[in-house]
Amino acid sequence: MSGAHWALIGLLAMAAVAIRVAGLIAGGRLRASRHAWVLDDLPGLIVVSLVASSLVGQPPVTWIAAGAALGIAILTNHVIVTMVAGVAAYAGLGWLGM
Amino acid sequence: MMKRGAIAILPLAFGAAVYGFAFGLLAAQVGFPWWGVGLMSVSVHAGSSQIVAVEQLASTGTVLGAVLAAAALNLRYVGIIASLSDVLDGLSLRAKLLAIHVTGDENWALTMAERAKSPDVGAAFLLGSGFVMISVWTVSTTAGAVIGAALPDLERFGLGFAFTAAFIAMARGLWRGRSQALPWVVAAAATVAVVSFGLPKAYGIVTGALCGLAVRALLRRMKAVIA
Repeated sequence: MSGAHWALIGLLAMAAVAIRVAGLIAGGRLRASRHAWVLDDLPGLIVVSLVASSLVGQPPVTWIAAGAALGIAILTNHVIVTMVAGVAAYAGLGWLGM
Repeated sequence: MMKRGAIAILPLAFGAAVYGFAFGLLAAQVGFPWWGVGLMSVSVHAGSSQIVAVEQLASTGTVLGAVLAAAALNLRYVGIIASLSDVLDGLSLRAKLLAIHVTGDENWALTMAERAKSPDVGAAFLLGSGFVMISVWTVSTTAGAVIGAALPDLERFGLGFAFTAAFIAMARGLWRGRSQALPWVVAAAATVAVVSFGLPKAYGIVTGALCGLAVRALLRRMKAVIA
């Protein structure tokens, strides 16, 4: 395991503890503040940006598979089902010669 | 009561085990050793956050960007833990710290739902269900990583796309209604623009999220003015 792996685990563990402790100490106040909406909105925006960043510059097959995965996600709202079906769609499209 | 929590969480723990196994498999395929995956699971204990961190490190190579993106995803825990203040009331500080570490989405939701039905459900139930969850999560992610390391390189079968599919599913889970549509579109467009200019992905994600927040703030202000 490289130094980057160690650093990632260490920093992420510290961040996770800090976030939970922040909830314990200041959570009530944060939730009651007028900025509470940021706590609710930021996770979704990060995930959407992650999806966008992983699609930039990808060939059409990836975009089509992403569209299929989105359809499955909307229907099932299930992470594992979406992952399996998405990879199957991606592999299937590749097999068809796209 | 602790035992009651531990038993009640079992069906949800099974779901988490499947998810954990898949995560471990992916992490091993992008170069994490199995014990690193186990160490991460027991010390971080946040599924989607760990997936994001591992994928970001593999695709961008920047530790700080990966940690920031993953930690931002975990911000909801400020609210989750804050909502537990009644449940944790009266515990020692050490017990509180232990309780909040073993708290995840599943056992938090179950504790709150059971407490709404019977008020004697409290910290013991949360701890019992939490111990089961963190144990199942750590074991299943580690097992996934052991198997994943033994498998050949699955990238050619499109395994890398599994991360993208997982993020799409997470986004679906975070969708709360039409008020999010415009901020999400702006966030995606801004990310695409930044990355297309040749800047690192991590910058694109931060820019996208900030642009989305700005649009959300504007929309909230406009709504407040109209109301």
